[in-house]
Amino acid sequence: MSAGTQVHANLTDAQVREISDNLGEPEWLTETRLEALDALDDLDMPDVIRTPGRDWTNLHELDFESLVDPLNAAENKDQVGPDEADVLPWAEAVQEHEDLLKEHFGSIIDPQENYLTALSTALFSTGTVIYVPEGVDAEDVTIRTEQNSRSLFNYTLVVTEESSSVTILERQSTGAKAEEQYYSGIVEVAAGENSYVQYGSLQNLSEEAYNFTLKRGVADTYATIDWIEGNLGTQLTKTEVSTLLEGDSSETQIVGAFYGHNDQHFDLDVKVWHRAEHTTADLVTRGVTDDVARSVYEGVQDVGRDAWDTSSYQRENTLMLSDESEADASPKLIINNHDTEASHSATVGQIDAEDLLYMTSRGVDPRAARNMLVEGFFVPVLEEVDVDELREDLEGLIAERLRERE
Amino acid sequence: MSSEQDHLKDTDTEARFEFKKDQNAAVKSDKGLTEEIIRMISDDKDEPDWMLERRLRALEQYQNMPMPTDWPGQPDLTELDIEEIVPYIRPDVDKREGVDDWTELPDEIKDTFDKLGIPEAEKNALSGVGAQYESEVVYQNMQEQWEEKGVIFCNMDKAVQDHPELLKEHFMTTCVPPSDNKFAALHGAVWSGGSFVYVPEDVTVEMPVQAYFRMNSEGMGQFEHTLIIAEKGSEVHYIEGCSAPKYGSHNLHSGGVEVFVGEDAHVQYSTVQNWSKNTFNLNTKRAICEENGTMEWVSGSMGSKATMLYPCTILKGRGATDTHITIAFAGEGQNIDTGAKVYHNAPNTSSTIESKSISKDGGRTNYRGLVHIADGAENSSTAVECDALMFDNESTSDTMPYMEIEESKVDVAHEATVGKIGDEDIFYLQSRGLDDDDAKKMIVAGFIEPITEELPIEYAVELNRLIELEMEGSLG
Repeated sequence: MSAGTQVHANLTDAQVREISDNLGEPEWLTETRLEALDALDDLDMPDVIRTPGRDWTNLHELDFESLVDPLNAAENKDQVGPDEADVLPWAEAVQEHEDLLKEHFGSIIDPQENYLTALSTALFSTGTVIYVPEGVDAEDVTIRTEQNSRSLFNYTLVVTEESSSVTILERQSTGAKAEEQYYSGIVEVAAGENSYVQYGSLQNLSEEAYNFTLKRGVADTYATIDWIEGNLGTQLTKTEVSTLLEGDSSETQIVGAFYGHNDQHFDLDVKVWHRAEHTTADLVTRGVTDDVARSVYEGVQDVGRDAWDTSSYQRENTLMLSDESEADASPKLIINNHDTEASHSATVGQIDAEDLLYMTSRGVDPRAARNMLVEGFFVPVLEEVDVDELREDLEGLIAERLRERE
Repeated sequence: MSSEQDHLKDTDTEARFEFKKDQNAAVKSDKGLTEEIIRMISDDKDEPDWMLERRLRALEQYQNMPMPTDWPGQPDLTELDIEEIVPYIRPDVDKREGVDDWTELPDEIKDTFDKLGIPEAEKNALSGVGAQYESEVVYQNMQEQWEEKGVIFCNMDKAVQDHPELLKEHFMTTCVPPSDNKFAALHGAVWSGGSFVYVPEDVTVEMPVQAYFRMNSEGMGQFEHTLIIAEKGSEVHYIEGCSAPKYGSHNLHSGGVEVFVGEDAHVQYSTVQNWSKNTFNLNTKRAICEENGTMEWVSGSMGSKATMLYPCTILKGRGATDTHITIAFAGEGQNIDTGAKVYHNAPNTSSTIESKSISKDGGRTNYRGLVHIADGAENSSTAVECDALMFDNESTSDTMPYMEIEESKVDVAHEATVGKIGDEDIFYLQSRGLDDDDAKKMIVAGFIEPITEELPIEYAVELNRLIELEMEGSLG
C-alpha cells in the first residue's frame, strides 16, 4: 500500500503529543513518534506472501480508521519481576532509564519499518521496560495485559547486560469486549554478551479482535534468545518473531504453537538472520486449523556472507481438523555462505486414520481418541517450552478448545 | 559405457557448444516487437487467419502486462531489452517444413548438428528427431513404425497447416494461455518452430523422440512452441536439448510447452538446456493430466545468464500423478531460478518433486515451488525434496517453496537441505588415491545421480560432461 489509502484523517500531531505528555516523555521521543505519524503517508503494510492470483493475508481490508481510537486506551496490567532486575511501566522507565531508551528504542525494529510499526510507535500508550544488570539471573518476570478499549498499543523493551539471564512471560487477553478491537505490540530485545533471554508469549485475545505484533531480538556474542509464541485468540493475527544473530556463537530457538478454529486467520512469520560465525538457530512450529480457520506460515532462515559455520534448522507442521480449513506454508532458505548446514521441512496432514483406529479398537471413545491425538501432536513443541507455567497454560487452552469442539 | 557413445565421450564438449557459424538468413525480422513484425512472421509462414489473430491478441496482452520485478530473490531482468532482440530468423533452406535427411541440409547447419552429435544419437537411440536452427525446424524425421500407428511428430508450423482442428483446440487455450504471464504473452505473439507430437489412443512410443534447438545468431530470440497430445492409454518420452554459442549481446529464449496427458496416458518430458551465458531463458512449460495419467518432468538447467522456469502440472483427473526431477547448476554470473508447480485439482492425486542445485563461483540458484491442493482434492499427497550443494562463499542458494493447502485429507511434506561438499568425503576419496578435483567431481556425480538415471544414456553422459566442464580447473 502506498499513497495514503489508509491514512488516518482523524489522527493528529496533537493526539500524539498528548499521549507522549501523559507519559512524561522527553522531547526526542515525542519527535520519534511524530516522525512515525508523519511517515504513515508513505509506508506500506507489512509484507504478506503473494502467489499468482492471491494475497495470503489481506491487511488492506482492515478499516484502521475506525479501529484505532488513540486517546481512549484502557487496560489492566501486571508487571512483576524479581528485585534484582528492573521491570518498569513505561512512564517510570522514561524517568529512570532515559539513557537506556535512547540507546535501544527503535534500534532493533525501525519505527518506520512499515505502516503498522509506525502506527504503533506514534500511538503506543503503555509498555514495559525490563533491564537485567550484569550477572543477574531474573526468573519469573510476568506481564499481563488485559485490553479494555477499542485499540491498545503496547511497547516492550528488554535489555540484558553481560552474563545475565531473564525469563519473561507475557499474556494478552481481552477484558471488556467490543465488537472489533485492535491490539498492536512491538517487542525489542537486546541480549548482551553471553546473556540469555527467554521470552514466552501467550496471545488469547477476543475472537473479534485484530492483532499485529512484531517481536525481534538481537543477540550479541555468545548470547541466546529463545522465543515461545502461542497464538489462540483474535480473528486476524499478523505476527513476526525474529532473531538477528549478530554476535559470534549466538543462538536462537523459536518455538511456535497455534490453534485456529471458527474463522480465525493466523499469519505467522518466523525469521532468523545469521550474521556472525558459529551461530545456531532452531525454529519449530506446530499448529492446528479447524472449521474454516486459515493458517499462513512463512519461515525464513537467512545466512549472510560472513556467517561461517552456521547451523540452521526449521520445522513446521500443521494438522488440519476440518475440510474447510486451509493451511498455507512457505519455509524459505536464503544461503550466502557455503559453510552452512541448513534444512527446513514443512508438512500438512490430518489425524492419522490408523492411529485413530488403533485407539478406538482399544476401547477409547472416538472423540476422546481424536482429542488425545491432537494433544499428542502438540507434544514435540510443548516439550521445547521449559517454562512450566506457560506450557501448562497452553496445554489447558488447547484442551479447552478441543472440548468445546462438540 | 558402450562404444556407441564414444562420440560423446571423445568430443570436446566446449567445442561442441561454443562454435559459431555464419549462416545466411532467408528472412530476418527487424529488432523489437511491433504489429508489423508479427504480421510479417505470420505472413512468411503463410498462416491461417485464426493464428494471426491469436498472435495479435497475445501481442496486445504482452503490451499490457508489466515485467515481473518484485518477486523475492528474482533474477535481474533489467539488461533484457526486448526492443533489441531479433524475434525471427528463417535460415536459408530449401524446404520450409524441414528435410528428413541430414545430407540435404546446407553444410553450415549440418555441421552444427553433427558437432552436437544429434544425427549420431538419432541412429542409435531415438524414435524421431526434430532439429530447430534459429526460428525454424530444419530437420524432421520420424521412424516409419510409429508413423504407421498414427503417431504424428512434426514441426509446429506444419502442424498449424495440417492439423488445424487439433491446434485450434489446444494451442495456447487452456494449458498456457498468453494471459498467463508476460513471457507467455510474448511467446504467443512471436512463436516460431518447435514440435508437435500426437500419440493416438493406446499407442506406446517405446523410444524417445527428440527435438534439438540451436540458437546461432547474436541478439536473437528463440520462441519455439511444443505441443504434445497423448491420448488415452498412450505413452511417449520427449527429449529437448538446447544450446547456443556465446555472444556479447543478450539472447532471449522464451519457449512455450503444452502437454496434454490423457486418461491413463504417460508422458515424460526431459530437457537438458545449455544456453550460452548471455541468454535469458524465460519459459512457460505446463501439463494437464487427466484421470490416472502420469506426467514426468526431468530437467537439467546448466546454461543461461538468467533462467526463470517452473514447469507446472495440473492434476485435473482423479488419480493423476506428477513427478518433477530437476537439477540446476549455476556458475559465475549465472542466476538459475527454477522449480516446480503442481496443482492438485482432483482426489487421489499425487506428486513428488526432487530438486537438486549446485552453485559455484558466485553463481546463484533458487528453488521456487508452488504446491496447491484444492478443496476437494482429498487423499492427495505431495512430497517435495530440495538439496543444494555450494562450492564456495561467493555463491548463493535459496529455497522458496509455497504450499497452499485447502483440503484436510492430504499428506504434504516439504524438506530442504543446504550444505557444502563434505570435507570428510573429500578426505576419504583422496585417501583412496583420487586428487581433489576428481574427488569433487565424483561427489557431484553422485549428488546428481537421481537425475542422470532418469535420462537416456546419451543425455546422462552429456549432462555429466557438461557438469565436469563447468567444474574444470576452478574448484575451490
